[in-house]
Amino acid sequence: MPSLIEVEGLSASYGHVAALKPVDLRVEEGEFVTVLGPNGAGKTTLLRAISRLVASQGRVSFKGQNISGLSTHRLAKLGIIMVQEGRGLFGEMTVYENLLLGAYNLGSEIEKVEGRFEQVFGLFPRLRERASQVAASMSGGEQQMLAVGRALMAGPKLLMLDEPSLGLAPKVAAEILDTLGELNRNGLGILLVEQKAPLALKLARRVYVLSSGSVRAELPANEIKSHHDLARYYFH
Amino acid sequence: MPSAIELIQSLVNGVGIGLVYGLIAIGFCVIYNASGIVNFAQGVFVMLGGMFAYSFLVGMKLPLALAAAISIALVAVVGVLVQIAVIRPMWKRKAPMFAIILATLAVQLLIEQIVILTLGDQPRTYPEFTSGGPLKIGQVAIGYQLFWVLGCGALMVGLLTLFFNKTRVGRALRACSQNREAAALLGIPVGSMLVLSFALSAALGAAAGILITPMQYTSYSIDGPFGVSGFIAAIIGGFGSAPAALAGGILLGVVQSAAIVVFGAGYKNVIALTVLLIVLLFFPKGLFGGLAKRA
Ligand SMILES: Nc1ncnc2c1ncn2[C@@H]1O[C@H](COP(=O)(O)OP(=O)(O)OP(=O)(O)O)[C@@H](O)[C@H]1O
Ligand SMILES: [Mg+2]
Repeated sequence: MPSLIEVEGLSASYGHVAALKPVDLRVEEGEFVTVLGPNGAGKTTLLRAISRLVASQGRVSFKGQNISGLSTHRLAKLGIIMVQEGRGLFGEMTVYENLLLGAYNLGSEIEKVEGRFEQVFGLFPRLRERASQVAASMSGGEQQMLAVGRALMAGPKLLMLDEPSLGLAPKVAAEILDTLGELNRNGLGILLVEQKAPLALKLARRVYVLSSGSVRAELPANEIKSHHDLARYYFH
Repeated sequence: MPSAIELIQSLVNGVGIGLVYGLIAIGFCVIYNASGIVNFAQGVFVMLGGMFAYSFLVGMKLPLALAAAISIALVAVVGVLVQIAVIRPMWKRKAPMFAIILATLAVQLLIEQIVILTLGDQPRTYPEFTSGGPLKIGQVAIGYQLFWVLGCGALMVGLLTLFFNKTRVGRALRACSQNREAAALLGIPVGSMLVLSFALSAALGAAAGILITPMQYTSYSIDGPFGVSGFIAAIIGGFGSAPAALAGGILLGVVQSAAIVVFGAGYKNVIALTVLLIVLLFFPKGLFGGLAKRA
């Protein structure tokens, strides 16, 4: 069976700075993969290169289909959905509108849209309570829930998340990551980027360690016992 | 000093012209919010709306509604062509914003020249939509066309508000205005949305031009003044919502026409720019604060 997503020799640069050197990476169907790496490692660039928010070289295939040249919105239509670093909410819009825009691809299939609302509200009851609140006025944790909820409205086949726990209280971060674990157990493929997250390690099956734009290691998550095990990959 | 009647009369006239400025301003906002581009060719749409309508109404003797509809559709096509032929290639090559904005100015000059060569340089006008009038209230005269401007302006702002808030595509356009990357990541075709914003804003400009022509005249050269006034109205309104832009337009129109009565016609633009400067001095984010969010 082909991988859910397979990345071969993907690279990207800003001007002369090679932020991502040719990187290989894959996520199997239903797999939870975490990418760890220090500040400036190129984690964000990796996800942005996959979703074509930055120009990149290399080959990306999705369920065996070559998707290298596709633009961001076409990738989204295929089910490759990313939760951006900093959440990327439509801040002046309400929670409800943000979620509705998540389901943009469903067009006017009202029943399906409502089904997804139920799913998201089931996972994040807080969003139902705050449906008419303006997104920017919510707490950090609530905003992150909304970002994940909005991504789920899009019906992802592969969900990519860029440091969803950044800036959140540990308890809130754990809540959100637990939800990701639940989604994964229901079969959703997840590619999670984090800087240092014991929780993310617990959820993941495989881990890539990224540093200075290159993959330094690919490990089964259960082989990483502590953060110290990772540190040695960070500096080379 | 002008009499009270003259002042009231000028206020009435100012509301009419101000509504038209407001419609042009909304056109500026639609494009700016979707893309960050200030489209200085906005006045061209106003001019073309009037010129086309003249050709269909007077030249081909089509009924008003048909002439207006065809003119608006044609100008929308011009808007789309400008986007596809000029803006999109620059956008794709990541041209700096000031270069794109300069290009819109070049488009304005180019279209002016094309109009001179094809339709001529003579000013033209056509009768008000409803003959008769003006309506006299005491000594104040209100031309029937003003009611057309009011009615059509309110209708368009109402429809736009519905479109932006209640439809899938309208919401997607707003999404692009707040976060283009996030919009694309949800499957919204941002490029097509930019085309749509040009079509929409060209159509608005055309409608404004069709409405105002019977009250004044149209010619190849009205695009500059109308574009500038619409731009000022947009800034006063804070480049925000449609109603804010409309309010900015009415404020500008009223102040301008009062200034003409008090100081004379030569002061029209002096006053317009003074209003702009005063607003920016005291409300640097626009009267309704819309410029704040995009700083
Ligand atoms: N827009 C940009 N222009 C120039 N350089 C950039 C840009 N974005 C990122 N970089 C550089 O590319 C490298 C990788 O950045 P990236 O944001 O991908 O790292 P990251 O692993 O996501 O870091 P963090 O954990 O801090 O989010 C860094 O050296 C960064 O300075
Ligand atoms: Mg990052």
